[in-house]
Amino acid sequence: MTEGALYFLQLVISGIAVGSLYALVALGFVLIYKATDIMNFAHGEAMMVGAFICYALVVAGIPFLWAVLITTGIAMFFGLVTERLVLRPMIGEPQFAVVMVTIGLSIFLRSISGIIFGHDNKIFPSQLSDQTLVFKGLVLSYTHLWAMLISGLMVILFFLFFRYSRVGLAMRGVANDQDTAMLMGISVKRVFALTWGISFAIAAVAGIFLANVMVLNIAICLVAIKAFPAVILGGLESIPGAIIGGLVIGVLETLVGGYLDQTLPGVKDLTAFVVLFLVLMIRPYGLFGKKEIERV
Amino acid sequence: MRSKTFRESYREDIRIFKTIWVKFWLVLFAVALLSLPLWADPYIIYMVNISGIAIIAAIGLNILTGLTGQISLGHSAFVALGAYTSAILASKMDMPFWLTIPAGGVVAAFFGILLGFPCLRLKGLYLAMATMSFGVVVEYGITHWESLTMGVRGISVPAPTIFGYTLGDPSKLFYVTVFFVTFLTLAAKNLARTRIGRAFVAIRDRDVAAEVIGINLTKYKVMAFAISSFYGGVAGGLYSYSTTYLHPENFTLLLSIEYIAMIIVGGLGSILGSIFGAVFLTAMPDIIKGFADFMGRQFIFLHGRYDEEWNIAAFGLLIMIFLIVEPTGLNGIWSRVKTSFKNWPFTY
Amino acid sequence: MKPKKNWKLVVSLVICLGLFSVTTSFSETRGVTKDAIQMGMILVKTGPVAALGLPEGWGVQDTFDQINETGGIHGRKINLIWEDDQFKTPLSISAFNKLIFRDKVLSITCMGGTPQTIALFDLIDKHHVVNIPNALAEEFSKPHKPYVFVLGASYETQIELMFDYIMNDLKAKDPKIAVVYAETEFGKKGLEAARKRAEQYGIKLVSELVLNIGSVDASSQILSLKKDNVEYVVTCNLVPPIITFLKTAEKYDYWPTTFGINWSCDDMVVKACKAASKNYIGVNFVGGWEDDTPGMKRVRELARKNDRDPAKMLTSLYTMGVGTAAVLAEGMKRAGQNLTPESYKDGMETLKDFETGGIVPPVTYTPTSHAPTTVARLYRADPDKGVMIPITDWRSAKEMK
Repeated sequence: MTEGALYFLQLVISGIAVGSLYALVALGFVLIYKATDIMNFAHGEAMMVGAFICYALVVAGIPFLWAVLITTGIAMFFGLVTERLVLRPMIGEPQFAVVMVTIGLSIFLRSISGIIFGHDNKIFPSQLSDQTLVFKGLVLSYTHLWAMLISGLMVILFFLFFRYSRVGLAMRGVANDQDTAMLMGISVKRVFALTWGISFAIAAVAGIFLANVMVLNIAICLVAIKAFPAVILGGLESIPGAIIGGLVIGVLETLVGGYLDQTLPGVKDLTAFVVLFLVLMIRPYGLFGKKEIERV
Repeated sequence: MRSKTFRESYREDIRIFKTIWVKFWLVLFAVALLSLPLWADPYIIYMVNISGIAIIAAIGLNILTGLTGQISLGHSAFVALGAYTSAILASKMDMPFWLTIPAGGVVAAFFGILLGFPCLRLKGLYLAMATMSFGVVVEYGITHWESLTMGVRGISVPAPTIFGYTLGDPSKLFYVTVFFVTFLTLAAKNLARTRIGRAFVAIRDRDVAAEVIGINLTKYKVMAFAISSFYGGVAGGLYSYSTTYLHPENFTLLLSIEYIAMIIVGGLGSILGSIFGAVFLTAMPDIIKGFADFMGRQFIFLHGRYDEEWNIAAFGLLIMIFLIVEPTGLNGIWSRVKTSFKNWPFTY
Repeated sequence: MKPKKNWKLVVSLVICLGLFSVTTSFSETRGVTKDAIQMGMILVKTGPVAALGLPEGWGVQDTFDQINETGGIHGRKINLIWEDDQFKTPLSISAFNKLIFRDKVLSITCMGGTPQTIALFDLIDKHHVVNIPNALAEEFSKPHKPYVFVLGASYETQIELMFDYIMNDLKAKDPKIAVVYAETEFGKKGLEAARKRAEQYGIKLVSELVLNIGSVDASSQILSLKKDNVEYVVTCNLVPPIITFLKTAEKYDYWPTTFGINWSCDDMVVKACKAASKNYIGVNFVGGWEDDTPGMKRVRELARKNDRDPAKMLTSLYTMGVGTAAVLAEGMKRAGQNLTPESYKDGMETLKDFETGGIVPPVTYTPTSHAPTTVARLYRADPDKGVMIPITDWRSAKEMK
């Protein structure tokens, strides 16, 4: 392999690695949007809280895998509580007001985390991040490999869940039309609660992965903003879309960073948003979203 | 006692000042406001100034989001465009403030039109994301076009002058701000009751129906973008004179979210609501802080152990509680209070 | 109906006029009473940037507390009022107004950051606020600002020291040097300084790459550097991106000698990156945490007394806070019994080679120059001990053309 080709391939692989992290973040967003039509602006904070809890557990001496499991459980419970206290009273209110409530929630959670966990930079003590996998000169770290595996697994799981399970069908029904779903005897409230629980659990997993590759502090919740383009790119309602969106954004970002940063400094961080804008111009419902076309 | 208003004509119904009392209170308010620099300390005046700037920006956003129903997460970009335009015109070309501030509005409006066209087909959250991308691109632009904007070094804005008289002091800039706020509020209030305003509302409520009754969607949507960004630009111009120094970090997505918060907490689609929301969100952190300081003095054992994050947490909590208890915003509370006063002692 | 309304109008006008006459009275000397001095500080305390603001503020607070315990300044206790600006310019301006007009402080230190400080220049001048800003921009001392005192070597000096070290200490022949910077004010300053210095040495920078704060990954930067076989990476960034950078480099088995400016020269980097930091060299103008100097002993003592866990904060910033407060207090002491903003400024200007015992290099201010010191020190990461170990003494950059 020539050096140029190797460089390109390595960039693509690194991009997929980062993309799988974005995909994990995007997944939680999409899940909530799919079932409840809400863009959850507190998703980044849910990630952060999950990462902090897991950190606290690992520091307390609980083995990493157990800590992750316990964190997922706590996050799920936390999601249920959030839904009950904050979002349930908002059922039937305009979508925009509900989105705003999640913004309020994000401000609240961020400060509370600052109070409880402190503002210092923490280093996640896990077994994942140290080793790397080297194959013919191409490098991939185990953290990213796990992120990729888990994203893949999630897609399959959710595909099966939405296709075959009763609850999954109920969720799809609610997403499609709340009133009709209610008439069909589906408990919309329960579906909402469950969605938030699952979404928070996924957020926690994403947060743990991010904490492994970055420094764990309050600022980690800002990564969620970087995942927005991935969500929209794939289409707000599509779970495979979220994964593909995440991967596309990750790869493009890394490639742009690898080739264009010299000529256009800082363009790497802009890539996602430009791609998003262009995609929306051509397909206003994302790559895999529900087609609701506006004609003017 | 005031009786219920009885209106005989449509003209009467859409009057800006519904009763003589409204006028009376407004005059009183204006007198109190205009005399503010004489009796308040510069801290309060500065806070009033930034509230005023927020009011203009929030009204602008409310025209687009509240009246026309087009969600925008890129309002900070227009504020940035206005701020940078007036800063550049003032510092590099020595233009007077009464030209640079409207110029900021015009430049922002121009970009608003540019953004409006491609966004015609987008709806809801997709539109929010597209406008957010626009915000990011503008931020990138002002960070990197260094010959013009000075990039991350920031650009200093000279104090505004008029007839050789410097207005740099907050207490003098105050009158400039009040002038723009009054003028633009009245303009917005008027706009809402003209054909244009009604067209906006029609688009918000049902765009297809609006088109059927003969509203040109393209024209009015782009117009909404233009007007909204003009307001944002003017707010930006005032912002640049008020902070005297601009830096790209001041105009991030968080600022857009703040404006959204203002109009939602205040009340979507209501001019008065924008004013309430802007003032509330600007003053609230201070009120919470003042309350915390007061409590701190009462309970000495808290001294030094208090974490300021509680103030921010309280702020977030307040927004949540507000929306849960009162989704129509402060404007909803206001009109309810007003009605209950009006109808007292009969509840209905 | 009509007369009644007029009556109300008159009453309200009278009330308004009454309010006109209420004016705020100012005390003779702002912020100084018989036994207390009011001091203000504007520094971020909340949100994502708080990791930077808190340690520095603690350093200032703890030092003033200690001075108060030992009798204060000429019998006056310093009362520090710390305002949070959330790293937003409008908020720091309002905090400034609050401190001056409500709390009537003598002076304010730390203006929140570079943009905030520049935005406040006019107000600082107008109200004679003696202050040491918590940033190092060139504009703070050039042209001369009568009330701004800069502490700590400029980014230019720091970058020059890095190049001097590569060329003279490591004796590199035709080195391949690249710059990795954040798109912030200090990042750009560092980049320009690096370009200038490279030209002076007659070298060409191999590449200039952006690594922004909050980046999830530094793969593209590392791969690009690795492809160009860069041996020395000069960075201008904060601690978290540097940690991401070093960890990513380790992943790709790439070991350039990496240099960091004062904001990233902290034990935190070593503790976080462990072995990945073995080729990391930082430049700083404050003493290293484990230094065996009287000043740093005092700093460690102070941190222990106030329950500041060095593992949970950026220790270099705490040290900087202590240094800032020590210099401010010394100036106050020299202003004498009659403390006013003006005499305070004069007191600060008498500082000549003021020794802090190794917390910061000797401090000198004159009535015509408040420029910072031109000396700093290089530190090398010691992964085994988890600290940055000084490898040079205070040194200044070599004069070139």
